[in-house]
Amino acid sequence: MLKILIPSMFMLLTTWTSPFKQLWSTILMYSFLVATLSLTWLAMPTDTGWFYINNYMAYDPLSSPLLVLTCWLLPLMIIASQNHLAEEPENRQRTYISLLISLQIFLILAFSATEMIMFYVMFEATLIPTLIIITRWGNQMERLNAGTYFLFYTLAGSLPLLVALLIYHSSMGSLSYLSLTSLPLTCSNLYANKLWWMACLLAFLVKMPLYGVHLWLPKAHVEAPIAGSMVLAAVLLKLGGYGMMRIMIILDPLTKELSYPFIILALWGVIMTGSICLRQTDLKSLIAYSSVSHMGLVAAGILIQTPWGFTGALILMIAHGLTSSALFCLANTNYERTHSRTIILARGLQMVLPLMATWWFLASLANLALPPLPNLMGEIMIITSLFNWSFYTLILTGLGTLITASYSLYMFLLTQRGPIPHHLILLEPSHTREHLLLALHLLPLLLLIAKPELVWGWTA
Amino acid sequence: MNPYILTILLFAMGLGTTITFASSHWLLAWMGLEINTLAILPLMCQSHHPRAVEATIKYFLTQATAAAMLLFASITNAWITGQWNLEFMSYSLPTTLVTVALALKIGLAPLHAWMPEVLQGLDLTTGLILSTWQKLAPFCLLLQINPSNTSLLLILGLASTLVGGWGGLNQNQLRKILAYSSIAHLGWMILVLQFFPSLTLLTLLMYFVMTFSLFISFKVNNSTTINSLSMSWSKAPIISSMVPFILLSLGGLPPLSGFMPKWLILQELTKQSLAPLATLAALSALLSLYFYLRISYAMTLTMSPNILLNALPWRLPSNQHTLPLAITTSLTICLLPLTPAIITLLTL
Repeated sequence: MLKILIPSMFMLLTTWTSPFKQLWSTILMYSFLVATLSLTWLAMPTDTGWFYINNYMAYDPLSSPLLVLTCWLLPLMIIASQNHLAEEPENRQRTYISLLISLQIFLILAFSATEMIMFYVMFEATLIPTLIIITRWGNQMERLNAGTYFLFYTLAGSLPLLVALLIYHSSMGSLSYLSLTSLPLTCSNLYANKLWWMACLLAFLVKMPLYGVHLWLPKAHVEAPIAGSMVLAAVLLKLGGYGMMRIMIILDPLTKELSYPFIILALWGVIMTGSICLRQTDLKSLIAYSSVSHMGLVAAGILIQTPWGFTGALILMIAHGLTSSALFCLANTNYERTHSRTIILARGLQMVLPLMATWWFLASLANLALPPLPNLMGEIMIITSLFNWSFYTLILTGLGTLITASYSLYMFLLTQRGPIPHHLILLEPSHTREHLLLALHLLPLLLLIAKPELVWGWTA
Repeated sequence: MNPYILTILLFAMGLGTTITFASSHWLLAWMGLEINTLAILPLMCQSHHPRAVEATIKYFLTQATAAAMLLFASITNAWITGQWNLEFMSYSLPTTLVTVALALKIGLAPLHAWMPEVLQGLDLTTGLILSTWQKLAPFCLLLQINPSNTSLLLILGLASTLVGGWGGLNQNQLRKILAYSSIAHLGWMILVLQFFPSLTLLTLLMYFVMTFSLFISFKVNNSTTINSLSMSWSKAPIISSMVPFILLSLGGLPPLSGFMPKWLILQELTKQSLAPLATLAALSALLSLYFYLRISYAMTLTMSPNILLNALPWRLPSNQHTLPLAITTSLTICLLPLTPAIITLLTL
């Protein structure tokens, strides 16, 4: 573990001391090396046990797919950011890369934390580099509002979480994950215990996001530069899901009744945000709302607390991370050519950029959960476990799947098919870098078809 | 100012605080506080500007009132218990009166109204002395008395965090923002005073380090409004890239050191079964965070339209002595992993 963490920390040093001409290649190579080394985390000799590194860091089948996703994403972010940062002064380029690397360090520490306060500190720590990336390097005036919404929604949810963790600590004595399974809080039916339950979950529900508290996400995703959107969609939302899965253990008998409204809200959110996607004119906003929709399904799967629910949630998180990040990269290829996010401004692109249309096709298919991709596996497992809980959820989830398929198809048809408008005939051809970026996103997704046990979590 | 006069005044300020620190007799403690107040008055009005003189008068009046209340309380205590010792105040009237007098001295809500107006009239260095050094002597006394009424300190603390948060929201003058930030932090210090006094001391010292960095950063840019901070990227690029971290540390975001006092205070409050109070105090910190974030937007994260000529000030050599700023900024950002060591140091 330290073989990955210490090199990541020293990547910061490399950023500031490499010669400027070799900066991007050096950092790219370094981060790919770290990403390749991180693949060793996927090898699990035992099925459900923890692998301890030291007293403070460990990983298990739940956190190792997320850790690998985090490490894999850094080289992809570097590839994606290379173009739009090319005109910036040298020190600003170095600062941007340092922000991305520090985000990775905090995320590795968050996913491998063994103690909940360490997880909390790192969960909050990821907010600062993301805030700076969004507000400093975003492209429109609304980015300041987006940064404020992002920071305050997340903090307003997570400060009660801190107090709830401290309450648990003062009554149970320890917040280590290892002891959480054997120390559930014995609770009577006091109203205060219900508030404590809510405080534990609110931070993660805001981060996921749940439908009612999701307003920060479209703003943040849209205003962020490409690396910001990628890391937000791929990993930071999964921090919420991961935290929820970890903390469910101690919330036990209260969750049976208290989770009811949140499951319904999550499923309703799947339909609502899917419908909003059908009416979007802004491409990045469409992808952002599609993220809310998928994560609503993840939230419902986690709140159901069955093995299939958890497994489905984890697979869907990993698959959605790769898919959503790929879609944002595709949207960015449009943005770098037309400097606009309006969908109808860049349509009919299959005529001009046929190979990019292949990637659009694959990414849209992944988004609508086509078999045999892991997206479908996740969704099917969650839908099945929800059906097992109550038959009527099938109406909501079935409708949600239908709407997901229709907006994914809508996005693909609108951007790729149809006659190409005259102002786009002279578009810059696709760079090899962009093809590499999308291949690196979609190849792991395709490879996961062959061995989904890597990302199944505890039920391996 | 004449260097001899400056020396005498600074020496007298130090003497006043030291006398209060070293005293166990109420009269001597009061004397130290009065010497401290009188010594800073010439520093405050040294520019002879009407606004500065107004600030000086307001400061003098409030501090004199507080000192008189303190003297009255100690005389009452002497009348009731027959002794003048600091630690042996066991009756509620003198103890409450002393607490309220010291609250007026440091500027806790609801006795905070003088603080923004006084700070606004001073230059940044004197404002720094007012926000940091002048709080030491009253806190020394607060740490030594046994509070009679549990809820008094909690009300003072919670009101201060809320007032400090809401009051700073509508400001664009940096000194008023710093005053409200001071009120909010003092609220946090008072919240935990009766449960774990070492945390009060920790919060006080962390606040000193953080606010020192902020004041000196503003002084280097010679700016007193948010708008004038927007040119700091061209005067001192490194300072303007560090200030967001100082501001977020003041707001209490992990992993910066400003999180340390807030975390420990919340832990202590939850141990004392005051969890709703802890949640309210934590959420009130978000109010302050909003205007800290606004300052960092103006200073670092946006660039206002300007001509090319104004991008050159950093090329000129500067005579600023920024070593203390470098040290305190590093402490403001990197001190969180040392929390166990710092707790041990302060609970010895």
